Amino acid sequence: MDKPVISGNTIKIPADLKYLTDVDDFIEGFLRDCGAEESVVADIAISVSELVNNAVAHGNRYAPDQPIIITIDKMNGAVTITVSDQGTGFNPDDIADPLANENLLKEAGRGIFIVRSLMDAVDIDASRQGTTVTITKAL
Amino acid sequence: MQLTDREQDGVVILQPKGKIMGGPDASLLHDKLHEVIEAGNKKVVIDLSKVDWMNSTGLGILISSYTTLRNNDGELKLANVTDKIQSLLTITKLVTVFDSYDSVGDAVDALK
Repeated sequence: MDKPVISGNTIKIPADLKYLTDVDDFIEGFLRDCGAEESVVADIAISVSELVNNAVAHGNRYAPDQPIIITIDKMNGAVTITVSDQGTGFNPDDIADPLANENLLKEAGRGIFIVRSLMDAVDIDASRQGTTVTITKAL
Repeated sequence: MQLTDREQDGVVILQPKGKIMGGPDASLLHDKLHEVIEAGNKKVVIDLSKVDWMNSTGLGILISSYTTLRNNDGELKLANVTDKIQSLLTITKLVTVFDSYDSVGDAVDALK
């Protein structure tokens, strides 16, 4: 694939960070249609951008033939979003504590920590076939 | 994201506008900041009043600028930090790293 494809509540993008804005427009559009407050929209948009950054850079490693798939659904007053890649996965327990003094001035390594801070629930399903991260936030 | 820059009392003021989420837009701010530093400017204010939100990529750019300036005897100040960005600085403990001011004028005064 060479450009984003939207189908219902799903957007599929090539593994390229230039498509972050397409994902953001899709996610924020869905949330505003749901009547979400701007602060909630921002929290979810930030979290999705973190997950897509990770999926492109660390999951699919910028491989143009491996898409990133993002789905969004609203149910029981909450929004659930999944971000899936085809990478070899990662162990969230291996991520260094970004609040430790020795890590405070590191330029990277805060993404998952921020997602966990902003979302109500985060589930990471990593395997050799790919990683799917599911996040949930009440509206 | 858009980016404007100006100078006031020997201080370079950068004003990004939009969202700082990674990809080509984030490179714009990163490259400009390092261009300013490499030109010999040692005092920089980043006015965040028009930034809707940023993610860890944006925070990484701020940290890179802060450490590069500090290593060259320079200083970075933040101005007009929005509530959403302030919240991120707090949860990541970066609020202990950056000096933030309520206005660009206050930030410039702090660098004189």
